[in-house]
Amino acid sequence: MSQDSGRTRFAVDIGGTFVDAISYDDATGELRLHKASTTPDAPARGVLDAVGGLADRLDDVEAFVHGTTLGLNAILQRRGADVGIITNEGFRDLLEIARANVPSQYMYDFSYAPPPPLVPRRHRAGVPGRVDAQGTVIEPLDEDAVREAGRVLVEEHGLRSLAICFLHSYANPEHERLAARILREAYPEVSVSTSTDITREYREYERTSTVTLDAYIRPVLNDYIATLESRLNDSGLTHPLHIMRSGGGAMTSELARQAPLMTVLSGPAGGVVGASFLAREQNLPKVITFDVGGTSLDCCVIEDGEPGEVHEAAIDGFPLLIPIFDIRTVGAGGGSIAWIDEGLLKVGPHSAGAVPGPVAYRAGGTEPTVTDVALVLGYLDPSGFLDGDMTIDADAARAAVRTELAEPLGVDVTKAAASVFQVLLARTVGALREITVERALDPREFALLAFGGAGPLLAPMLAREMGIATTIVPQVPAAFSAFGMLMSDLEYEFATTVLRPLTDETLAAVEDTFAELEGQGEEVLSAQGVKPEDRTLIRRLDVRYHGQEHSLGIDLVPGDTAASVLARFSEQHEARYGHAMPEPGQILTLRVRAVGRLAKPGLRELPPAGTATPEPIAERPAFDVATGETVPFPVYARATLGAGHEVSGPAIVEEGTSTTVIFGDQRLTVDRYGQLVITGGQA
Amino acid sequence: MSTGERLDGATVEVIRNYLVSVGEQMRRTLVRAAFNPVIYEVLDFGISIYNADLDLTAEAAGITSFLGANDYAIVKGVEYVGRENLAPGDVYLLNYPYWSGAHSYDAMLFAPVFRDGHDGPAAYLAVRAHWMDLGAKAPGYVLDSTDMHQEGLIFPGTKIVSGGEPVRDIIELIRFNSRLPDLTIGDFHAQLAALRTGENRLAQVWEKFGGETVDQAIRQLIEHGERVARKAVAALPDGSWTAVDYCDDDGITDDLIRMEVKVTIDGDHMEVDFNGSDGAVLGPVNLPIGATESLAKATFKELTSADEPSNAGHYRALSVVADPGNFFNAQYPVATFTQWSAIVAFELLHKALAQVLDTIPASSGGDEPGFMALGNDPRTGADFVISNNEGIGWGARKDRDGANAQQHPSQSVVRNTPIEVLEHKSTVFHERLELIPDSCGAGRFRGGVGVLRQVRYLADGEVLSMKKKSKTRPWALDGGHEPEPSEMVLWPGTDRAKRVGMYRAAMRAGDRFVNRTAGGGGYGDPLDRDPAAVVADVLDGYVSAEAAERVYGVVVDDSGAWRPTPARAARTAAPES
Repeated sequence: MSQDSGRTRFAVDIGGTFVDAISYDDATGELRLHKASTTPDAPARGVLDAVGGLADRLDDVEAFVHGTTLGLNAILQRRGADVGIITNEGFRDLLEIARANVPSQYMYDFSYAPPPPLVPRRHRAGVPGRVDAQGTVIEPLDEDAVREAGRVLVEEHGLRSLAICFLHSYANPEHERLAARILREAYPEVSVSTSTDITREYREYERTSTVTLDAYIRPVLNDYIATLESRLNDSGLTHPLHIMRSGGGAMTSELARQAPLMTVLSGPAGGVVGASFLAREQNLPKVITFDVGGTSLDCCVIEDGEPGEVHEAAIDGFPLLIPIFDIRTVGAGGGSIAWIDEGLLKVGPHSAGAVPGPVAYRAGGTEPTVTDVALVLGYLDPSGFLDGDMTIDADAARAAVRTELAEPLGVDVTKAAASVFQVLLARTVGALREITVERALDPREFALLAFGGAGPLLAPMLAREMGIATTIVPQVPAAFSAFGMLMSDLEYEFATTVLRPLTDETLAAVEDTFAELEGQGEEVLSAQGVKPEDRTLIRRLDVRYHGQEHSLGIDLVPGDTAASVLARFSEQHEARYGHAMPEPGQILTLRVRAVGRLAKPGLRELPPAGTATPEPIAERPAFDVATGETVPFPVYARATLGAGHEVSGPAIVEEGTSTTVIFGDQRLTVDRYGQLVITGGQA
Repeated sequence: MSTGERLDGATVEVIRNYLVSVGEQMRRTLVRAAFNPVIYEVLDFGISIYNADLDLTAEAAGITSFLGANDYAIVKGVEYVGRENLAPGDVYLLNYPYWSGAHSYDAMLFAPVFRDGHDGPAAYLAVRAHWMDLGAKAPGYVLDSTDMHQEGLIFPGTKIVSGGEPVRDIIELIRFNSRLPDLTIGDFHAQLAALRTGENRLAQVWEKFGGETVDQAIRQLIEHGERVARKAVAALPDGSWTAVDYCDDDGITDDLIRMEVKVTIDGDHMEVDFNGSDGAVLGPVNLPIGATESLAKATFKELTSADEPSNAGHYRALSVVADPGNFFNAQYPVATFTQWSAIVAFELLHKALAQVLDTIPASSGGDEPGFMALGNDPRTGADFVISNNEGIGWGARKDRDGANAQQHPSQSVVRNTPIEVLEHKSTVFHERLELIPDSCGAGRFRGGVGVLRQVRYLADGEVLSMKKKSKTRPWALDGGHEPEPSEMVLWPGTDRAKRVGMYRAAMRAGDRFVNRTAGGGGYGDPLDRDPAAVVADVLDGYVSAEAAERVYGVVVDDSGAWRPTPARAARTAAPES
């Protein structure tokens, strides 16, 4: 692609409170950020506000990527469409019977009540027709019954979105396709989703839940994308609008409207994509992302530039079979409340949220939060909050920590406040060990990449706790998710469950299926104008030992045989679980990932800093976890830190929306890309 | 053990988090490496961490009833082996039912963990999981054993890994005695991987905080658990309450088994006494004392500290009484394979407590009504054993309806097996799986509804119906109605049709069964139910229009409009609409 001067790229990320818009100038490498308030009632407005803060017109914009949590919020707030389900006769309750389990956190709560199903029983219909486990049609689909079910759901119940899922459709989607065709012909204005358009994996409840969620958010997302696109076009945008996928990569708005579910967990995906990009650019073999917001903390493992992936997620307990990054969430962030339970100090799971918020905000909060504790310890500047836009009462925070925590624990205020961080870190350490144990990795070998509003504050402390050698704080960490979106390629995954023994015969027999999946990939990329030389198709097999359930993904390379695939699988199995088995292998799923490379900015080096040592802008007392003492911390403005600058801890770096705290036994270096690199220190 | 200097509440909480995470990391390792769907789909396992005194330190979510049984078993296992005989890298296998507190196929592996400077093991790890076959008298499951020796190979605490090296002779013994050796040995390795993860991670926690500090934190968190539990018990009214219920039979005779429990709350202590129950029976439904303690612990935990990860302290205010020879304290060689009776007893305990605690729901379907299918798949030539735990309707509470089609509260985290998995792994073919209208116990708040599963065999095989509460109804509360009990009907719609509870039958290709699970008991008079809720139930088909009129006194027409029957009108001072 041409690199005309003045060409810019945009990425816009909607969060719970703010919309972050980021622009990147191809010629100068300048990165600009503008924040606007989220507008839940008319989400497109917040996006346009944020974009408007960076440019009046979008005629020169050559790429526009957007991450939206609209679909997720529609599910969490139960504001999606009224959906009808069509399934096999005799099986209309699959959605409600589900897996019949109680979530493990409620295992001793014998009056647990599951959330009501997204689709009430009266809106679920069964029709005759059956396929068996081998994909053979045992009973043809009763087309008249499909028409009648459609009539009842659409004409009598007034539903505008239908979901179709039949047993074993992953093995043979014929009935789902036929039923969809009939319903679309009869009711062209009604949205119709089929399970196999989204996933070809087995397990009927999970597939039903997946297609139901898709149907639930489709009308909402369709309206939103149409509105946004037309407003952006009015502003001069000529390039296609790209929407971020949950599993990384972007897709055109047209495809997003066809597959809305793929966008549903795209919020944290931007940060992971950005982190993978940084890892590749800087040859960091092992990175853990550490994204901390107000109520939660997200971590993801990135090895050799590739983030961990899973093919199943859950929203509010509803499973969905879509590829997403393997992000582990801890329910604790800046707003989490610290409290005493019979003498033990607990942090979360309750959060003060925006209202009443931390005690220091003086909006009615009385229970100390992590933010209050950070103020008490001197990590945050009471006058510099959000660039001075908020009034902060540090004394109120201190008083709350004293009465609610310090006195019941019988320790002083500083010790109580420091302990809140210790407990929060202990939970985080647990989460990181749990995601790394599944890969037989040692978290100490990783670099910690910190972003989100509170990530840079907590990360150096976490690094000390875990013995992680390097912590990196990228540029504009509070908007890193939007930055990641700028770095996206177009990506799609096509998969089908096969369940066959891993033999050379099978590998030969699935060749046609692979070719078919690749054909689908080529088609999608070509429809989006990706040139053949920018397309990559990657074949992957999900392999397991015969008899075992959980599989590992093995990328195929040319010349692979059953033996070579099994050998690589056994090697990974041994590495991950400590044993390999003399069992034959089985292929569970064929996957093809289609990637369309998009031109994107490289990481730009900054000129070396002009001065030998940076000058602090202030100094304030803060708690140094390295010594357990409160000592003066020099405070630096991030804008004054240049490539090559080095600072010994303790130190605080401020940049308006984020604060990095470096302790006495740590050292800060500004690398050639302007990132803060913190090393040293161990608890 | 010496008592160290007291730690502050923050340090204890930090260390507690690390220990709970060790259990969780063990769980993840087990689930990912397991071979047998009962582990990875059904989550039929229990993982526990103990300190040097064999006090429960932390556990990972699995089957509720396994966790308490581990506590009893680890004490018996270490006692049998002798603490002084334990060495680093050793792993022991225990499934002797009277010690392990479960049936012989629930194999518990336990390992001592050593630490420099600590005399003897500094901790113990236990991982229990359901093995698919250990050579009992029949494949799959045993419903009619009359002594332990018909229940498979027994290990009383046998060294299966010595100094880090698997003991080949023992593993080969298992292999040659199991009908499904690959699955069984595969799961053994998965359990071993979980133990190794636990050992490594525990060592890291010791290294980080210092072993003595961790020991002290454990003592304090156990004190904390005890404090929380005692406080909760003290808040309950003092007194004694007795309840009686019946288990179908022992699998050999048709006689009902009478179970009686007396719950006594005295200050901050609770006693659960089963001595009023029948004595041991011939068939395999007797409960070892470890299983009895376990079911009592689960209920106690629910009442006192439902949302906290367990430790030994949580159970110090509970004592469980059942004399040797009682149904609830099985002695060698009494048969114990089919412990569905524990689920009926679990409900019984709630029935006693419901007399004094209005937070207790009515009976949740009576027990856990699952099934197993066995056979040989002619397409592959391979033998299969599949199983499914079926949801039941949960009991209504004083303030809301019970959940529909949920796993029994005694094993609430267990999942059913997907139809698509069952049909892949076996020759069963599903014709129906639906909620059953009117299966709930009616009431001001109704129980949840149960499910109906109709299956046809595509090839010859066997079916095992699993339920021990099919002859008597689940109980209701405060004038609510009792639902129909669970049942399995073999060969429905034919002249051979047969209603069974716990039962094993040969099936021919083309034969069918219908598994029908009970709803939950109702709470309060159905004539007092909110008519809008009755209308919604009718429109959704949870309750038929006929039952709405007859039981609830609400006549609902097709448009959703309603009027009260004379019976309802008579109860209501000013009839609505």
